[in-house]
Amino acid sequence: MQIGITAMGAYLPALRVDRKAIAREYSWSGLGMPRGGFRALAGWDEDSLTMAVEAARGLVQTAPESLRIASTSAYYTERSQSAIALDALALPRTVRTVDFGNSRRAATTAMLDALLGTGDQIVVASEKRLTQAGSAAQLAYGDGAAAVRIGEGGGARLAGFASVTHDLVDRYASQDHPTPYVYEERFVRDVAVAELIVPAIRDACEEAGIEPGHLTHVAVAEPVGGTWAAAARQLKVAAPNHCQSVSDAAGDLGTAMPLYGLGLALAAAAVGDYVLVVGFGSGVDALVFEVTGEVEGVAGFAEVLAQGFRLTSPTRFLNLSGALSLDWGMRAEFQQKSQATVLERVGRDTIGFIGGRDSGGNVQFPKSAYPVNPALSEPEMLEDVRLADLEAKIVSITADRLNFTPDPPFDFGLVQFDNGARVLMEMVDRPEQGFAVGDRVRMRLRIKSQNRELGTRTYFWKAAPLARPTLGDA
Amino acid sequence: MASGFRDKVAIVGMGCSRFGERWDLGADGLMVEAFGEALADAGIAREQIEAAWVGNALDDINVGNSALPAAHALRLQRVPVTRVENMCATGTEALRGAAYAVASGAVDIALAIGVEKLKDTGYGGLPLKTKGVQNDLWMPYGSAPGTFAQLAGAYAARHGIDAGDLKRAMAHVSWKSHQNGVHSPKAHMRKAVEMDKILNAPMIADPLGLFDCCGVSDGAACAIVTTPDIARGLGKANPVTIKAIQLSASNGWEMQYGEWDGAHVPNTRVAAGKAYAEAGIHDPKQSIDMTEVHDCFSITELVIMEDLGLSDEGRAPADILDGRYDRDGAIPCQLDGGLKCFGHPVGASGLRMAYEVYNQLQGRAGERQRGKVDFGLTHNLGGAPFNSVAAVAILGRLN
Repeated sequence: MQIGITAMGAYLPALRVDRKAIAREYSWSGLGMPRGGFRALAGWDEDSLTMAVEAARGLVQTAPESLRIASTSAYYTERSQSAIALDALALPRTVRTVDFGNSRRAATTAMLDALLGTGDQIVVASEKRLTQAGSAAQLAYGDGAAAVRIGEGGGARLAGFASVTHDLVDRYASQDHPTPYVYEERFVRDVAVAELIVPAIRDACEEAGIEPGHLTHVAVAEPVGGTWAAAARQLKVAAPNHCQSVSDAAGDLGTAMPLYGLGLALAAAAVGDYVLVVGFGSGVDALVFEVTGEVEGVAGFAEVLAQGFRLTSPTRFLNLSGALSLDWGMRAEFQQKSQATVLERVGRDTIGFIGGRDSGGNVQFPKSAYPVNPALSEPEMLEDVRLADLEAKIVSITADRLNFTPDPPFDFGLVQFDNGARVLMEMVDRPEQGFAVGDRVRMRLRIKSQNRELGTRTYFWKAAPLARPTLGDA
Repeated sequence: MASGFRDKVAIVGMGCSRFGERWDLGADGLMVEAFGEALADAGIAREQIEAAWVGNALDDINVGNSALPAAHALRLQRVPVTRVENMCATGTEALRGAAYAVASGAVDIALAIGVEKLKDTGYGGLPLKTKGVQNDLWMPYGSAPGTFAQLAGAYAARHGIDAGDLKRAMAHVSWKSHQNGVHSPKAHMRKAVEMDKILNAPMIADPLGLFDCCGVSDGAACAIVTTPDIARGLGKANPVTIKAIQLSASNGWEMQYGEWDGAHVPNTRVAAGKAYAEAGIHDPKQSIDMTEVHDCFSITELVIMEDLGLSDEGRAPADILDGRYDRDGAIPCQLDGGLKCFGHPVGASGLRMAYEVYNQLQGRAGERQRGKVDFGLTHNLGGAPFNSVAAVAILGRLN
């Protein structure tokens, strides 16, 4: 049977920076930066791992053969992001994991590899990239993730592809320069269009047996604005670039950009349509899909794009994006350490949010030899129950303004699951009116603690409102 | 069945340092201050102490591990000295250890001393610790006001009380304690505070404002305990005796099992029930003359009044506003100003409470004296409402 895309998933952080409000703050400087639309901004406790898991969690009803995560902003340089995600998604340890990085094209490369294989595979792309205050990238970039599941059948068949490897240095980031260093746009656009993008798209379409003009929807991750317009003129393609919608509403998502655009494109396409996705960076990947049926999950992409909280505070934006170091006082000196031995014992159950059901039917977290259920008095083995995908209800709550958090206040309280489990949890994605006893919540994977001195993070689940508000126009 | 140790142990001497921001003293100096007063009160020499229990909750905040810092500070004479820690119940835990030693006949005279030196942390509130244990991986570490603030919302929901009415009752708790603290020379804060100021104070953890929270301070308090016979030999004709000390600790039920309403503290109810039984008290509303309870936050004291059985369930806000726990009320609470005015040097607080009851029982409380006191109760609540240790002690006179 033909290998194709069977399902997709998307995740964007709740905060959306109003570019106009921030650019206005910089108006005195004369610096050039985007002024329209929104930039998706990760919370202090979100990173490429947490967002990758959020994007992929809807795709793991069954275990795939492999899990591939592409990112240029993985927190760890020596600890596999996909291996941590495996535990967060509660996937079996027999699932192969691969990390792709070092290029914005990494996700399309990983997806192409998966499509050229034979198995059932998940590819996730996720980014939270560091940018410098005042740079155009700071407002142009966005944080977010998208995931695709590839396997037999599926509603989008790979009809043709082409790849070009070309070390065109349009921008770079390095260990010594972790924020992007950007070269002149006209140079990048001219060379990218002529040497990489147009040739690759022609080749991919030829392999698919279609003229470029037959493409009905495209998702082209542009290195600079105007790239697709220039390429489309040469290729005589009238199809809209869905990545532009992502740029406008969330920003350039790096490796996740082509996948996010692909999700929007597939949602808009009809059976029989041909859809192009292009990943760019150190070369180009062009993949042409023939739409043969429905792809699960793509309808959610536009919804995720349209929901969130508008952020207009420049200092909060700079603080959360890591561009401004605030003096939070001595309480912020608290550094939580994690121990490898403890992680080995309980880390998988913790990041997987695995509680246990006792012989009386009650679920608890964490598990224990003696159940918390007062009706039981003997030690017993509890049956694993994943709580991450369940809703719960707030039993008690406060907005703590004394405790240090990089984005006050610190909302936390007791959360009650319908299966009996009760867990003390942090809350995230704070609604405008705050949290209240009785509110229904869902679980989100977040950074639990970070130790900047030792360069380590731990992850756990936090409770969030079931829904986000719809974002208005900027 | 255990008979308890009602009247088996007498307190013959107590001491209490001045509490506050004691920039002038370390933990050793605080202990010396309290210890000297207790020795003089008991009329014994240091060398007569045969064993000591030292309560100190936060060992890494300038006191140090083990009981050796106390042995050094007081130059105890190679007697067994044991450090105990049970969160905010630590002071009472030290008293329990010393009292058990006397009650068992192991020693004749024992010392319980509690101390905490918090103001070397450099900031307000209690310090946080981390060791990379399992709980660090998932449990949110809110501040102390953050954990106790959650009682308020749950209490209001449980009893259908308007948040504004509850806030006014909470404010009365703090207002009353500040009124009392004016008369406590050893208290950290000795100024009366207007109700409006309490109600309009900056928010710390919703709905707890600044004046709903007790302060953090340095301090030490201690007790010298012995048998009633020896007490009489020391000239204490009708000594203060321990009628009961009971503790109860969470086993995870509140925070892991879906039954608790979040509006009361089960451990206080269990510890109080056992303490009343041990003391032979059948009707605490009639028998208890005064209380010193764990008013770390105003909502905590409000809930404690019900958990101790002094207010009916859901009635504490009304009782508080009616003045039932005021200085001239039916059962005054925090005659010395409580944690609200003394602050909360964790290891010392339980013994500081006992110190006030001890003085009230003997009519030695000066301006704070509440007429004749037959039974006084102390209460500590360590941890958080959803994961706590509660200690209840009842003191009275031998005859």
